[in-house]
Amino acid sequence: MNLVSAVRRGDWQVVFGYAFFVALLTGGYYYNVTFVQLGLLDLGTRLVGLSEAAVSGWMATLALVTLATAIAFGVSMDRRGWSSSLDAKLRILLGVVVAQVLLTAAAPFVRTAPQFGAWIILASVSMGVGFPATFALTIDFVAVRDRGAVAAAATALTYFLANVYPLNWQVESFSRVVVAAMLPGVVLLGVLVFRPPAFVGRLSRHHEQFGVGRFCHSGPVSVREAAFVAPLVLMFGVFFVDSLGFLRILDTPSLVLTSWQSPDFSMHLTLGVVHVVGAVMAGVLYTSFDRRVLFLAAFGLFSFTHLLYTFDIRVAMWFPSLTTGPSSPLNPAFYAVAVSFYTTLNFALWPDLSTPDTIGTHSAIGIGLAGFLSTFLSTALALYFQSTSVTLLDHLNLVNALALLLFVGLVVGTYLGRMHTLWEGRNGEPN
Amino acid sequence: MANPIELIPLLVVVFLLVGVQGGAVESMEIVTDGTHTVTEIPDVYVVGGGESTIPANASVSGSVYVIGGTADVQGTVDGDVTQLSGNLTLGPTAVVTGDTQYIAGSLDIDDGATLESLTTAETLAAQSSSPGRGAVFVVLQTVVLAVAAGLLVRRFEFAFDTVGRAITGHPVVSGVVGLLVTATTLALVVFMAMTIILIPVSILGVGVGALTVAYGHLVYGYLVGRRLPIDRPDVSAAVGVVVVAIALELLGVVPVVGTLVQLALVVVSLGAILVTYFGLRPFEPVSLPT
Repeated sequence: MNLVSAVRRGDWQVVFGYAFFVALLTGGYYYNVTFVQLGLLDLGTRLVGLSEAAVSGWMATLALVTLATAIAFGVSMDRRGWSSSLDAKLRILLGVVVAQVLLTAAAPFVRTAPQFGAWIILASVSMGVGFPATFALTIDFVAVRDRGAVAAAATALTYFLANVYPLNWQVESFSRVVVAAMLPGVVLLGVLVFRPPAFVGRLSRHHEQFGVGRFCHSGPVSVREAAFVAPLVLMFGVFFVDSLGFLRILDTPSLVLTSWQSPDFSMHLTLGVVHVVGAVMAGVLYTSFDRRVLFLAAFGLFSFTHLLYTFDIRVAMWFPSLTTGPSSPLNPAFYAVAVSFYTTLNFALWPDLSTPDTIGTHSAIGIGLAGFLSTFLSTALALYFQSTSVTLLDHLNLVNALALLLFVGLVVGTYLGRMHTLWEGRNGEPN
Repeated sequence: MANPIELIPLLVVVFLLVGVQGGAVESMEIVTDGTHTVTEIPDVYVVGGGESTIPANASVSGSVYVIGGTADVQGTVDGDVTQLSGNLTLGPTAVVTGDTQYIAGSLDIDDGATLESLTTAETLAAQSSSPGRGAVFVVLQTVVLAVAAGLLVRRFEFAFDTVGRAITGHPVVSGVVGLLVTATTLALVVFMAMTIILIPVSILGVGVGALTVAYGHLVYGYLVGRRLPIDRPDVSAAVGVVVVAIALELLGVVPVVGTLVQLALVVVSLGAILVTYFGLRPFEPVSLPT
């Protein structure tokens, strides 16, 4: 690892780059998985007084606006050369973080539907600008061979923190935590932008060495190529499966109160530790195997997790008396591992499919379409299921079927791909 | 009320026991709540909760398993009675024509009860914890493994070499793969057993897992054997297996840490076996730019 050799050499400037990037990615993702995904639901329903369906509609709007902003901004970043300029990216991020601090601090005071809508639009724009800029920093701070490990570290930290604090899923708690966490970030970014230490100049040249991603060494990958489209579709599938299943689990008190919203702190700690273990495993696999292995593991784990959930529900149907006991801790634990797997992959994949000229666009399209569009669509589908009174078992069964389909599809696709290669090789041979 | 966390694993044990004994799991009846007076049972009757009573004048034919709740036998059971948990009462007029096995739970046997045989956890433990018996088992197991190592290395040394290289060269990757596969496979085996219909596949999975763990043991023996001053690889592997067996026994004496090291060794060897396709292909991690 470059990081390990930097530590051994005592090259603290490089080490700072790694630590800064992990902190930035962790902060951004923590904001997304806690404040945006959980806090807004509480804000909309409890403080503004909207129905859950109306808040879900606004969340879908947030996903679409973020997607549109991200793609427009990511493309602009590449065209204007900001993607390879560390100074430009730091300035953009400073603006984003300041905007998000203000928005987050203001959130608990939102009381009307128009205020809520305006808040959602502003937050979407800030996120749409923020995530391509954050991902584009990979080429300044993280060597290609260390990306799996760095992605694993950010995933582990994010989910560990999100599981252990805050336990109370109320917007006021999230607001306090996120503002407190962001303020040191504002100060640090301010120093790096307005009083940059000398080593920032050195870090800004790293993209010449770190810029070409792992999957671009035989040539740049275009967004129209299968090498980009295939992982995009698969990542979309993972996000969709996760989001569609988790939305229903969150809506089922017997499942969520014994796991992610358990009053027992040891449950939160266990889930946090399981996330860390899952992230470390994913980091090792990403560094050692082809990305397909990680996709297979993620789909396999999701299939298995939903199999466990649906099995429990069926057992409860057969033996109603069993439903009175606590639900199995195995299910959320496997869920946590699956989520850590694909999050790690998501953090490392898009920079590794990019060069300094394309990282803005590729990150925006990758995360925008796979992450935000899938969230939009899964939310819409979950709302439709809710309106048609689809049962918990049927809902999770469908998620399970989707995960299995993607798992089998990937296996078959990989096999057919190899067959195609062999066929091409055979036809190319002289008779 | 029955607790699923306790009950489901015990149910799996019952499924496996019935499956191994060739019983008819498809005609199994499981009771989890309510009060029942039982005068007729299918081949297998499982008390998981509530209260089931076989009255004094009744005679039922089949196996009875108690894994929760209360079973009160006052009549005749023409078959085995096995208690894994819960409460079991064998009253003064109770007759059990098969074996009565007590593993855990609360058991109350009246002096007037007629039992063909009674096996308790204490007698089983006394049998299995006999030092002489334990030592003989370990020695026999080691001899079998050593012979297997000698024979297999003579014919498939390349496979042992390949797995060994993965263990020594990529222990972290092997460990991660081993841990992932072990965790999911264990859960999968349990859940397959619970579908009843997949019990044979579940048992097969346990068998394949045990053989794979044994293969890992042999590979460790091969690796240790290579460092011994013995020229013939088959002989060195056999001796290495004996050394590894002794080392594992010694590790077992160390509380907690010893067990964790044993588990880590198993997980790493499983991963190494899998990433090398049982030794058929060397494991090479993807090449990353420096």
